[in-house]
Amino acid sequence: MTAFTVAPSVRALIRKELREYRHHRMILMTATVLPIVFLLLPIANLALFDPERSIGGVNLAVGQAMFCFFLCPVIIPATMSAFAVIGERDQGTLEPLLTLPLSDSQFLAGKVLAIVGPTTAASFAIYLAYMSVVVAVAQEPVRSAALDWTWPFGFLLLAPVLALFSTLTGMAFSARARDIRVAEHLSGLVLLPAMLPVMLVVTRTIEPSVLSWGAFSAVVAALDFAIWRLALRAFDRERAISTA
Amino acid sequence: MTHAGPAIELDRAGRTFGDRVALRPLDLAIPPGEIFGLLGPNGSGKTTTLRILATLIRPTTGTARILGHDVVTAAMDVRRRVGVMPEKPSLYERLTVRDNLVFWADAHTLPDTRAAIASALAFVGLEARADDRVGQLSKGWRQRVALARAIVHRPRVLLLDEPSSGLDPSAAAAMERMIRALVADGATVLMNTHRLAEAERICDRVAILRHGELLELGTPRQLRARLLGNVVNVELAGPPTLPVRRAVEATPAISDVRWLPGGFACRLEDADRDTPALIAGLVHAEAQIVSVVQAGDLESAYLELMARTAREDELEAAA
Repeated sequence: MTAFTVAPSVRALIRKELREYRHHRMILMTATVLPIVFLLLPIANLALFDPERSIGGVNLAVGQAMFCFFLCPVIIPATMSAFAVIGERDQGTLEPLLTLPLSDSQFLAGKVLAIVGPTTAASFAIYLAYMSVVVAVAQEPVRSAALDWTWPFGFLLLAPVLALFSTLTGMAFSARARDIRVAEHLSGLVLLPAMLPVMLVVTRTIEPSVLSWGAFSAVVAALDFAIWRLALRAFDRERAISTA
Repeated sequence: MTHAGPAIELDRAGRTFGDRVALRPLDLAIPPGEIFGLLGPNGSGKTTTLRILATLIRPTTGTARILGHDVVTAAMDVRRRVGVMPEKPSLYERLTVRDNLVFWADAHTLPDTRAAIASALAFVGLEARADDRVGQLSKGWRQRVALARAIVHRPRVLLLDEPSSGLDPSAAAAMERMIRALVADGATVLMNTHRLAEAERICDRVAILRHGELLELGTPRQLRARLLGNVVNVELAGPPTLPVRRAVEATPAISDVRWLPGGFACRLEDADRDTPALIAGLVHAEAQIVSVVQAGDLESAYLELMARTAREDELEAAA
């Protein structure tokens, strides 16, 4: 990707983005509270699991828990990426930012990586915490079902490409929308159908396996590539600074 | 590598937005080391010109070059060589002054970021506020940060949009001093301004735009002469004596002499060319000269031009 030919300027943009996120209350809340919620919900779900009263059995309960983890790399980037361009425009920094020696691809890459990196790391971290809790306190049959290797395999494969998908979609809307909330809502509309394959797996409509996770990840990665190309083509500096 | 031609060059560069003409094809060549002012009412095309040069928008006609680099085909080369200061400071207010500059210096991949930032902070006198959040600073200090950001990579060309907009007189004077110092250091400055007195003080040349069209171009003195006539006011210590009157009337290219109790006003064919001869004649006649001042200022000239073009527009509309 040409974005990395002048890596230092992209790295500079990433560092700036991360510094800004640390001082932006809404983003900070989104990036800290949501992962905690996405961690506590599955733990509560499994802790309260009652095999006698459960309709779908332990597999469905574990699937529901996993769904929360898959939501994490989708929802957090959607909020952050909506801010990426509109936020710059709202605080008046977009115009000087676009006078920096950053090509369109470097600009977008810096913005995208600043979201995908931390979000993926947070998603892996809460999943790791969940697995630790399961190992430490969960009883059979929950323990075996939750520790089934296909889940971490699928999560490891799919979480980064889902985060990228969510970020790119959010960025595309952010570059063209006038309001952060509009961008969030529009990207939400696109992201919900994208969660359908995950729904099919967590509900065991499709069995979690190397093949199913591999296929889904490949499809999402292909979509990511297509959206990246589209976003790059659609990114218009004049429009970005004039949409107000 | 040093560029031999103009630092800033517009060759029939124009811009339309749909049916609206923001800038009619404009020719402009600004040599290195010049402070050039773009004047004109709101919507006259000043900001459009600046945005074209800053690679933010593309010209729809003609070309524009910075230090020989085309703003469309070599946009990245242009961005490396210009410093842009927008009208509003447009800073990251949640970040500190230093963090703002660190980002800019890093994005320009400077070899010694720390030294560049220290130098920019020292230049604008912000060392003591470097670790303050920008959001806590006054407008004047923010303008200084914006200037520090624009110069942190030591650009050879500076594009300043209303650099002293909203500043109190002492902050505006400080901004003027800083702009002069940058030019003394070898930079070329193109600035938009509504402050005509400021433009008259610091700009080597100015262009007046209206409705996207170039109306006048020249030094402030040339514009005053063209628009207000070459009227010169001479103040003497005491009433004009007969030898003084004779010397004045004998000056070539003089007309419309009006004698006053403490001096006289006259019209010269070319104030720049003829004033030295007038003064030489006065000195020869042993006149005690207090001051010789060309009548009017850039502001009067600007207002005269605006009134004149408004009258022409009315006549055109009536016809």
